[in-house]
Amino acid sequence: MASGETSENAPSMTSIQRHFLLRRLHSLTGIVPIGVFLIAHLTTNSSLAWGRFALRGKGDGLSVSEGGVKYFQHEVSWINEQVPHLLLIEIVLWVSIAFHSILGVIYATSGRGNVKQYAYQDNWRYSLQRLTGYVGILFIVYHVATLRWGWTFLVPEGTRWSHNFSASTLAAAMQGSTQGYTAMGVAVSVLYMLGVTALVYHFANGLWTAAITWGLTISTKAQRRWGVACAAIGAGLMLAAWSALIATMTLNYDKAHAVERQMYIEMHGETAYLEYMQKKGLQPSGDGG
Amino acid sequence: MIATQESTKASTVRIRVKRCDGPGKASYWQAFDVPREPGANIISCLQWIAAHPVTVEGLKTTPVVWDSGCLEEVCGACTMVINGKVRQSCSALIENIAPNAGDVVSLEPMSKFPVIRDLWVDRTRMFEALKRVKAWVPIDGTYNLGAGPKESPEQQATRYTLSTCMSCGCCLEACPQYLLEEDPKKWPTSFIGAAAMNQARLFNEHETGKQLKKDRLDVLMGPGGQSDCGNSQNCVKVCPKEIPLDESWAAIGRSVTIHAITSWLRR
Amino acid sequence: MQQQRVIVVGGGLAGLAACVRIAEAGIPVDLFSMVPVKRSHSVCAQGGINACNDVARQQGYSEYQHFDETIYGGDYLADQGPVLEMANFAPKVIDLLDRMGVPFNRTSEGQRDLRLFGGSLFKRTHFSGATTGQQLLYALDEQTRRYEASGLVKKYEFWEFLWPVIEGEINGLEGDGRCVGIVAQDMRTMQVRAFRGAAVIMATGGCGLVFGKSTNSIICTGGAASRCYQAGAWYGNGEMIQVHPTAIPGADKCRLMSESARGEGGRVWVPRKKGDNRIPKDIPESERWYFLEERYPKYGNLVPRDIATREIFDVCVNDGMGVNGQNQVYLDLTHKDPEYLTRKLGGIMEIYEKFAGEDPRYTPMRIFPAVHYSMGGLWTQYTPGNYAPAQPHGEHKPGMPVPVDTQPGRGMALGAPNNMMTNIPGLYAFGEVNFAYHGATRLGANALLSCIFDGLYCGVSVANYVTQGDPADRPIDRVDQALFDRVVQQEQDKANRLLETADGIAPGDDANPYLIGKEMGEEMEAACTVVKTEARLVKCLDKIAELRDRYARARLPDAAAWTNQSLSYSRAVGDMLVMAEMIARCSLLREESRGSHYRTDFPDRDDTRFLKTTVAQFDSGARGVEQHRVSYRDVRTSLVKPRARTYGKVEGEESQKPRGKPQPAHAGS
Repeated sequence: MASGETSENAPSMTSIQRHFLLRRLHSLTGIVPIGVFLIAHLTTNSSLAWGRFALRGKGDGLSVSEGGVKYFQHEVSWINEQVPHLLLIEIVLWVSIAFHSILGVIYATSGRGNVKQYAYQDNWRYSLQRLTGYVGILFIVYHVATLRWGWTFLVPEGTRWSHNFSASTLAAAMQGSTQGYTAMGVAVSVLYMLGVTALVYHFANGLWTAAITWGLTISTKAQRRWGVACAAIGAGLMLAAWSALIATMTLNYDKAHAVERQMYIEMHGETAYLEYMQKKGLQPSGDGG
Repeated sequence: MIATQESTKASTVRIRVKRCDGPGKASYWQAFDVPREPGANIISCLQWIAAHPVTVEGLKTTPVVWDSGCLEEVCGACTMVINGKVRQSCSALIENIAPNAGDVVSLEPMSKFPVIRDLWVDRTRMFEALKRVKAWVPIDGTYNLGAGPKESPEQQATRYTLSTCMSCGCCLEACPQYLLEEDPKKWPTSFIGAAAMNQARLFNEHETGKQLKKDRLDVLMGPGGQSDCGNSQNCVKVCPKEIPLDESWAAIGRSVTIHAITSWLRR
Repeated sequence: MQQQRVIVVGGGLAGLAACVRIAEAGIPVDLFSMVPVKRSHSVCAQGGINACNDVARQQGYSEYQHFDETIYGGDYLADQGPVLEMANFAPKVIDLLDRMGVPFNRTSEGQRDLRLFGGSLFKRTHFSGATTGQQLLYALDEQTRRYEASGLVKKYEFWEFLWPVIEGEINGLEGDGRCVGIVAQDMRTMQVRAFRGAAVIMATGGCGLVFGKSTNSIICTGGAASRCYQAGAWYGNGEMIQVHPTAIPGADKCRLMSESARGEGGRVWVPRKKGDNRIPKDIPESERWYFLEERYPKYGNLVPRDIATREIFDVCVNDGMGVNGQNQVYLDLTHKDPEYLTRKLGGIMEIYEKFAGEDPRYTPMRIFPAVHYSMGGLWTQYTPGNYAPAQPHGEHKPGMPVPVDTQPGRGMALGAPNNMMTNIPGLYAFGEVNFAYHGATRLGANALLSCIFDGLYCGVSVANYVTQGDPADRPIDRVDQALFDRVVQQEQDKANRLLETADGIAPGDDANPYLIGKEMGEEMEAACTVVKTEARLVKCLDKIAELRDRYARARLPDAAAWTNQSLSYSRAVGDMLVMAEMIARCSLLREESRGSHYRTDFPDRDDTRFLKTTVAQFDSGARGVEQHRVSYRDVRTSLVKPRARTYGKVEGEESQKPRGKPQPAHAGS
């Protein structure tokens, strides 16, 4: 009866190896490069909140918020202008995210959550991992489409992000306008809050389960200890992410723009600034001083 | 009936049973009021119902069909879903799960295995999985060849715990990754679940059992193997034998990782 | 010619060991079991498995000593040859199981650890945690699965044995009949089908459920043995039923409570006043009756197991003094420090808590003796080995020269086709279902041994029978199909007759098979276990006659043609009633006390009349109790001379020494 079926329908060695490779690559891509990128990204973003304290004297006379804008813009410019092989990095990242997402959805849909019956903390973790995966994918697509690909129809009032005016345009995109919050802006901010939180959770928990999957932590004690470490990593990232978000959500567009304008003019001159503004369809501001 | 009305007082416990007359038939619920008696458990209630198969509505029905064996929580047969959670029915004492008058106990068959009738399910897939991972020691035969390998007390303690698995299926019922699969042709590529994986670990840890380690790890590398585990860790929480299945998953994870890398480098 | 197959019925230790041995010989096996074999009753054995070992050997122990203990423990009712062979073979069983991966407990050096068990001065019991039986069964289950995967073993799980198929005439040992297969029923589809087998091995275990709530599993009805008995197989020593003194009475079954609870200071008592229903802690010391301490001032609660069993039984059943009027007494540990109890008896405390729902650290445990093991069973033959002393030896003391070596074939000829064959050629009985090894009572940790020994040692006999015996000359596949069809029809008719009665019985109906079964169990437990008397047994036989009468009118609660458990159970009740009647009749006729058979009207062992095997033969032509034709066959005692089974106890007050090893043989934790 069934015993024959088992051997006859056993998978071939090739399919075994393919399966294993895909599964482990799925796990790996979540950490490298996606996780590593997430850490870099959130750390950079957090400079919006904490950058003022890192300016080492160069921030004299600037408010915390303005200092953040300055440092953040500095970082963004560095990434865009000095990081080598940026395109290659971006392609690798994109392929990884697509791979991780597509397989993730396939894997996630192969299970049926049951927290209602078995409301254990770990079971919640399991279900949340899948939920945050879905949320994360949607958020990443929105985030990149609006701020990177310039799908301005998805942005309230169509603000376009600019890496030269990174903080101000970001604030405008999230607040819904350059003049402070709109109703749609509130929605976008909430989306960001949720999306970023989901991704950080997904990463921290993924880091924890990866150690089991790969067999790094074996004893329950070791798993618990690594769990504490992952929770700490998650909390750190959460702090970075939320502080950046709060900083952005409370940012005054004009003040931020003024800081960025000054930086741009120092680098490229007044004329270039006006040309750039025009090209981007942005409202140039006069010399505030 | 007068007798039935009298018995619905606090001296009885109401047992709701999700019944099914056979494969492909619709499920339906029936309730029974069973007299409370000292030391009563689900088994004794079902035995009482078998002798008095009348529902609370006074409807004559058939005895409930269910699987049981040792009644000491060591054979694994009487596993079912009691008040929403999977466990053995022999150790489910009425005074613990329904201590108060008016408490209702619901009994359902396990959902991850095909129902044969009522609470009795077909767990053949579990035993097939044991073949899939070659859960045995490949001895040379039963003739007298002296003692087996020596073993430290610690190693014995580890293996003994793993070896107390009674194939009850609690770990699979509670697992969000282990789903009902009625087609035996798909079993060799469907998720293997904690029970058989744990047996693979048990035999990999034995000096002679090790000889089949490669075969076992090949299976656990593949579809439905170790990496299909979603780490909800429900298995370890519902295991009645308190087998550290979380550790077994990780230990097998390590073995599979090493096995994959070394066999890749060896090619 | 198609290769001849062997049928094994029952997948416990005996059945699986046989399966493995026979498959190893290259003979395909069909394995039948009512449950997945991994769930067989063998899993319940806790204590361990006996075998001589190197340490004990150097202390003066030997296989021969093990043999002597077993014979002495069984009160000389076992034929001695097979027991000698079993004791000699035991170390090989342990080695083999060890190789199969059984996680035996280990010493710090990595050797197999040993524990002391009843009936011996030497540590000779190997164990694996607190679930030795489970671990041994799993090892054999795994090896069987290995043969299943390779195609040599085919499992029929959830199939119920219904009847042996017998070709020719069975007339005791005289007829020309032989067993050529079985008829079995798929418990799910209800299909009734015949299977051909060159040999059929019954390994279906004991009959605890005949006694209602026992320590046995729900499947241990004895139905299969009863069917073989009704088909002409002899039954030996049916009256020999072992009762364990301390079990936890449950609403569904009784679960063992280890003797160590008394060892750690547990006190046994009941309220002095009949019908005193106060909770135990409200009953002052002066109103508690510590009857063991009172009756046995020196041993106190630590009286040997059989005495404890009888006293508890006496207080409850005869005096009606049981707690809350029920058959239970208190086993009280509440005077001990709870932390001490957790440390010393943690495992036991948990078992009690789990199944009784009370914490024994604060509430006295309620316990009662429970039927545990049937020494009796299908009567089997064997070919004596080549060890034949001129005179039977006396008591064997440690360190004495061993009169015989441990080569195979000393006690029972290796490979002789009739080893553990019933009186029906081709029909074998292995394990608890036979009567061969434990005499009138069984030593603790010898049951697992006898089961595996049968499978391995006598499995060779089966292989030889199939390849060189009768089936080699007259192949089974040439047997007329009509014979099989006839038995299938017989069983189908039996099932249909029962199914036709299913018109929805009313609860409480005296034709309710569940209630008939329940009453049978209660009657058998009261009359036919710990203390037996002629008057009570006569009454018991009357009751069984009444139950058989009611059974003839039994009505089924379920007419389903799919997975009808009430058919299976009701059919078994009929067979259990036959078994019960036979056991009661054998008990009545054995007018002596021996081992676990204790007659207050005949309190002494009577070797002149009863150093004999009770053989019951079923006469289907007769009616009622006359169906059981009981005769006696001499026990072969050519190796060891029977001596008084006193365990060093001196009569009278002098006997009340503090407890020391060795323990009497009412063992089998």
